[in-house]
Amino acid sequence: MPTLPDHTPIAAAALGQGRGPQAAKAEILWPTPARVLSTDVLRVDAREKVTGEAKYASDVQPPGWLYAMILRSRWAAAKVTAIDTSEALKVPGVKSIVLAGGEQRRVRYYGTELAAVAATSKQACLDALRAIKVTAEPLPFVVDERDAMKEDAPRVFDGPNLSAPGVKQEGDVANALSSAAAVVEGELSTQVQIHHPLESHGNTIVVKDDGATVWASTQGIFSVRDGIAGNLKLPQSNVQVICDYMGGGFGAKFGPGVEGGLAARLSKETGLPVKLMLTRLEEGLAVGNRPSSIQKIKMGASADGKLTAFEAETVGTPGTGGGGETAGGSGGANVATPYIYKVPNFKVQQRAVATNAGASRAFRAPAHPQGSFGTECMLDDLAVKLGIDPVEIRILNDPGENRRKEYALGRDKFGWKEKYKKPGSSPGPIKTGVGCAGATWGGGGRGTRAEAQINSDGTVEVRVGTQDLGTGSRTLVAMVAAEAFGIRPDQVVARIGDTRFPPSGASGGSTTTASLCPGVWDACQNALAELKTRSGMADVAGPNWAVACRKIGINPISAQGEWKQGLSSSGSGGVQFVEVEVDTDTGYIRVKKVLALMDCGLIVNTLTTTSQINSGIIMGMSYALHEERVMDKATGVVLNHSFDTYKITNLADTPEIECILLNMPERGVIGIAEVSNVPTASAIANAVANAIGVRVPSLPITPAKVLAALGKVPKMSA
Amino acid sequence: MHSFTYSTARSVDEAIALVGDKGRYLAGGIDLLAELKDYLVTPAPDILVNVKRVGQPGGPAGGAGDAKMGLLNGIVHVAPAGKEGEAYKLGANVTIAEVAANAALKKAFPGLTHAAGEVGSTQIRNVATLAGNLLQHSRCWYYRHPDVTCQKKGGDKCLARDGENRYHALFTGGSCVTVAASNMAMVLTALDAKATVRRGKETVTLSMPDLYAKAWTDAAAHHSLAPQDFLTSVTVPTLRKRSAYRQQSERKEFDWALVSCAAAGNVNGGVLTDARVVLGCVAPIPYMSLEVNNFLQGKPLNEATATAAADMLLKGARPLSQNGYKVPLAQALVKRALLALNETAG
Ligand SMILES: Cc1cc2nc3c(=O)[nH]c(=O)nc-3n(C[C@H](O)[C@H](O)[C@H](O)COP(=O)(O)OP(=O)(O)OC[C@H]3O[C@@H](n4cnc5c(N)ncnc54)[C@H](O)[C@@H]3O)c2cc1C
Repeated sequence: MPTLPDHTPIAAAALGQGRGPQAAKAEILWPTPARVLSTDVLRVDAREKVTGEAKYASDVQPPGWLYAMILRSRWAAAKVTAIDTSEALKVPGVKSIVLAGGEQRRVRYYGTELAAVAATSKQACLDALRAIKVTAEPLPFVVDERDAMKEDAPRVFDGPNLSAPGVKQEGDVANALSSAAAVVEGELSTQVQIHHPLESHGNTIVVKDDGATVWASTQGIFSVRDGIAGNLKLPQSNVQVICDYMGGGFGAKFGPGVEGGLAARLSKETGLPVKLMLTRLEEGLAVGNRPSSIQKIKMGASADGKLTAFEAETVGTPGTGGGGETAGGSGGANVATPYIYKVPNFKVQQRAVATNAGASRAFRAPAHPQGSFGTECMLDDLAVKLGIDPVEIRILNDPGENRRKEYALGRDKFGWKEKYKKPGSSPGPIKTGVGCAGATWGGGGRGTRAEAQINSDGTVEVRVGTQDLGTGSRTLVAMVAAEAFGIRPDQVVARIGDTRFPPSGASGGSTTTASLCPGVWDACQNALAELKTRSGMADVAGPNWAVACRKIGINPISAQGEWKQGLSSSGSGGVQFVEVEVDTDTGYIRVKKVLALMDCGLIVNTLTTTSQINSGIIMGMSYALHEERVMDKATGVVLNHSFDTYKITNLADTPEIECILLNMPERGVIGIAEVSNVPTASAIANAVANAIGVRVPSLPITPAKVLAALGKVPKMSA
Repeated sequence: MHSFTYSTARSVDEAIALVGDKGRYLAGGIDLLAELKDYLVTPAPDILVNVKRVGQPGGPAGGAGDAKMGLLNGIVHVAPAGKEGEAYKLGANVTIAEVAANAALKKAFPGLTHAAGEVGSTQIRNVATLAGNLLQHSRCWYYRHPDVTCQKKGGDKCLARDGENRYHALFTGGSCVTVAASNMAMVLTALDAKATVRRGKETVTLSMPDLYAKAWTDAAAHHSLAPQDFLTSVTVPTLRKRSAYRQQSERKEFDWALVSCAAAGNVNGGVLTDARVVLGCVAPIPYMSLEVNNFLQGKPLNEATATAAADMLLKGARPLSQNGYKVPLAQALVKRALLALNETAG
């Protein structure tokens, strides 16, 4: 195998890759070899973003705009009996105050929205919030999931905190466990992780009698449109949502949110534009999180390492988002387990437990990182017990053909055989270790319409009602059009982020790229056909482009197209290898290197794909080592509400990352965002266990937990 | 935040006159403004006195500034090298970045410049002043939370003691288990620096332990100074030729220390004298034990000595439910800091 430069796409054919299951059915519709696709193309809006020219929802300043802020419950549980805004309304500059949910109501977590104020300055809002008098009867509450499961725990809802178990089983797990050559058993746990996009949630909204304009920080301009229209009882056609740029969402920014609804009402009340962006503190309370998990797992295998039995009982908290009878919203706290592995005998029982905390929301690969952590950690422990190499045991058990090849390729590239040593056997206080893990995700596209316009001067505009969650949508639109027309990406103006453009879906589930690229390609093909007709030229690409376009006449060519199966399919995957160094005196973990081998069908832009993988890995590392919502049991508040204690991996800790992309154009476009985030934490946890010779069974793996696992922490004095 | 008057003082006298009973001095503002925004300062100050212009030459109102104090933004070598009383005097307004980058200090006190380089981020070091760093308030997440009332804010109990206390104290003289977290405080204590403070018309000199003593027992205190006391400079004697600083955080950069350790002393022929070892983030004050310092006098500087000192220093530790890890961590850092005195680089 020749050495590959950083993030070199490898043609799957060159690796002898089989086609994915869908690819076999689909016609091959993307051009091979491509001219623009599968190359490094800088973001077309990089300059705007770096210079600050790019206007985000929070930058927009329509004339006369008001600040708005939210009053939130200071109680984790209470019966609110009165909300008196009379003094607050007297604060100079205050224009309007609206209640979030009536004056008398139950609140079930610290941070529940009670009211919102619009004023001419931020300080006036702050003063008004402090002047609103809320009368409430505090009620008992519980914020810790283990406490919430206890018989006598305060109930979050009227029903029990703990949901009935959802059970999935196959075969005879008890028998398989008792006849397995080796069985490992453990309790693995993961923390609540907060989305914390760097741009907070919020909108700038102008409501007029007959309609509204919303500048939203959102993953779904159409879902915001419909939400605001519903909220204000306006026709959907009269609500325009604009999202030119946005600073991250990770699954927590689909609808307008309570904050969007409040901003809309304040704008309607005052007749003025209203800007309501959440503060960092608020981001930690009420706009989503990844549920925690506690996973009791038993795993068994035959002597040669083939998995025969898997038993898991899991419970996690989605806060107020699930668990009780009257709950709902987040889909509970299930984890994807036994994750990618097919085990003939398994029994998985999953429950969610409600707590008095903000509800969870979809978070980059919901259920996967948790499921991966439990399964992959146990698999490594099993490999150690059986004396089998962790990569071998994965190749033996992973049903994914692509991943098995990625393991084999990655093992050589990473130098696994030289680096993998018996757990805890590296000499000295600073120990090195290696680990690996694999992941899967769907990431297929869906219904999107796009519009391509060719002007007589040869310029091209493409319009599609998608948004750029940070994945580089605008650039991908330009690349696909450039490929179709035989021109350069910078000759294309990509217009996105507006509900006046043909609709595309919300950006969730790694579907954006796979949705918009086929739609744009199809629109461009239709425009191209029209150009050929109008110009009477059979070949309009490249050098002929300008000549052909001059023959268009007065009316530009405008054609629509739509998403088509085959131009996109589903099923991204990948594996990651990690090397760490653990200081056994201080417990500090340094991640030295991550090697990722990932596949997502046709790589549209190698640069933005690599960027997604980098971000997935850094976020996965952050989940492994740093992030954790900490709540206080006695007061029910989120204690680490700012970035100095809600720790996110920063650049100094970011390891060397190497990405190898497996390009499979015949599979069409598939999303990469989520799958890249899944295996990192598991691979890091396995590398740490390999380094120190003991398992740290809970995330995040902090110095405190490493020292405890090593038996260095003295028993507490009474 | 509450509204306040803002005023710029040109001299220490003027600053003291302006600050009155309810005002605060504003240096870099990193800590003070953050506290004001979260309504943590009670009673709310009626005036913020900008002290960054104090003693600056050519200031329109202050003229030559406060000549007696020297420049508040200067680093001055006091007394000739090798002579009795040789020291460096660091003005209150010197930024942490200036300390970190100062070549003379790097040579004289490598532990000091190292500790300065570990404060926050580049941006914070560029704005943070020495006085502001030394007099910064607790970082306890109960204290910093706008919606809870802990003992430090006049509540009746320390919420961390039976709550979330992973970042809290192993030692305290009272009931509050917050920790002193200023990097500079630890290493300046190890170097036996003295703080010069204007208290009304008086000028008083405080040892570093004196500067913090009040916080050992008094939950409401962050240090020993009253809001009207004006810290003008810190004098660091060059008596100790070796100094070192080690900290461990959860992240490599831009993170608070979980535990830090500063050590200083002299090493001649492998033998340690005048040693002082200080732990940070384990007590409401820089934590030092005279017993340990005395024990180290005349000992060979080696692994065994360092281990014994580390064990001795942690002897009285009273871990809470979640911070027991700080004991082995502190032991490791004491050993590393002490052994680093073997090298001139700190
Ligand atoms: C994210 C973050 C990370 C940080 N990490 C670290 C770290 O790792 N290590 C560390 O040591 N620090 C750290 N800090 C703290 C930071 O160093 C201090 O907040 C900063 O040094 C304060 O200096 P300042 O000049 O801004 O002080 P200000 O905020 O202006 O003042 C702080 C206090 O000192 C008083 N004061 C200021 N000057 C005088 C004077 N001359 N006389 C009397 N009183 C005075 C003020 O009234 C106020 O009470 C961090 C801070 C942040 C926000």
